[in-house]
Amino acid sequence: MGRLLQLLLRNGGFVTLVFVELFCFMLIVNYNTSQAVIWANTTDIFVGRLMERRQRVSDYFSLQERADSLAVMVDSLQERLASARYVQVPVRDMFYRVTYDSITGTDSLRRKYNRPLYEYVSARVIENSVTSVNNWLLLNRGKNDHIEPHTAVVTPNGIVGIVRHVSDNFSIVMSVLHSQTRITASVAGTGAFGSLEWEGGSPEEMVLRNIPKHFKERITPGARVVTSGYSLMFPRDIPVGIVEGYANADDENPHFLVVRVKLSQSMSDITDVSVVRNPFSPEIDSLKSKIKQ
Amino acid sequence: MNSSLFPNIWRFLGLILGQCLLLKQAVQSLGSAYFNIILYPMFILLLPLQLAAPYLVLLGFAVGISVDMFYQTPGVHASAGAFAGFIRGLVFTAFAPKGGFNAKDPIFAPHYVSWQTFLSVSGVFFFLYLFWYYSVEAFTFVYFTSIVLKTLSSWGITMIFVILYAALFNPKQ
Repeated sequence: MGRLLQLLLRNGGFVTLVFVELFCFMLIVNYNTSQAVIWANTTDIFVGRLMERRQRVSDYFSLQERADSLAVMVDSLQERLASARYVQVPVRDMFYRVTYDSITGTDSLRRKYNRPLYEYVSARVIENSVTSVNNWLLLNRGKNDHIEPHTAVVTPNGIVGIVRHVSDNFSIVMSVLHSQTRITASVAGTGAFGSLEWEGGSPEEMVLRNIPKHFKERITPGARVVTSGYSLMFPRDIPVGIVEGYANADDENPHFLVVRVKLSQSMSDITDVSVVRNPFSPEIDSLKSKIKQ
Repeated sequence: MNSSLFPNIWRFLGLILGQCLLLKQAVQSLGSAYFNIILYPMFILLLPLQLAAPYLVLLGFAVGISVDMFYQTPGVHASAGAFAGFIRGLVFTAFAPKGGFNAKDPIFAPHYVSWQTFLSVSGVFFFLYLFWYYSVEAFTFVYFTSIVLKTLSSWGITMIFVILYAALFNPKQ
């Protein structure tokens, strides 16, 4: 403190000068027209740059929010896409209203009776494995987010798995890389469908089994494999992967074909997923229970 | 110190009035925007040698703001005056003989130091003052060339008045 005081005293002239000049500066920019104009322009430029930098910084910090809002947007678009692909149900003796179909860009009479509407809930993968025989994922969504067991988990690139267990805030997903996975998938454009399974080994490859034999010629390498829509969980036409190689007779079941499928969603690199809810599944389940009895 | 008080007060008033009533009118009647005659920093130059730097800065500000009242440029002359008060010490240090100016000399004037020293010191002092003054007046270094030209032309004319002032009044206190 003493040294600081000494420094002030020794440089008293300079310190006084700084204060006096600051005061003069204030006088000049407040009471002189031309200098005030120059000062205003200078501060405008400076403040502009400052605001720009501030904007950049705040943009950076809001990236998370923006990513989340984009995830929500992707969800809603997927929702509409999945719903649009769903079988549309014409209804007799109804009062029809023309609504604008934002997907096909046409006025549609039928869209009003589309059902069911899939609901997509975005979630983040907080645990994932691809190396074991049975792989699981952990999502940061649970009952509180209306997630139920036996719902599909997808990304815009492909399928991820099926929710098996749900706690209040988290859920465990059976990865498609699981020995018990059976998902009905079809080869796009052929009508050939089979059961998608994982035989272990490469986390990028699955097999499509139980394809009826007469599809042998029509399944070519590179063909797209998509979900069939025959399951309650996965909406139609969710991408699964592409066909690798030609379809061959299944060793285990020679009456059917088997073909290898390269997954379009790399299972080892997943951060954001969507859980697909089908609001009609309880109704369909209760209906199906009648034939099991 | 007391004996130097009144001469300085008279100089203060005399230089402000001379500056604002005579020199300002003279320059205005010549109608030139390229030079100015600014003699009042003479007051700062002739303040007692022993005066501490903070007082010089404050007195420089005082004389500057008084001149600003007449020029209607609040702050411009005050800023330059305060700056002149600050650099006076630096210029003196730069030009002083070894051991500083004679401690018995009350002020820095040709009566005590040689004319040569007086002219060198006041030349540098007025140049720095004028450069600061025109910089503040322009308020941007975009017109740096114009600032330097104005400073040089004003410096030449002002120095004539500085010599006239020193020769005519021959200040001793």
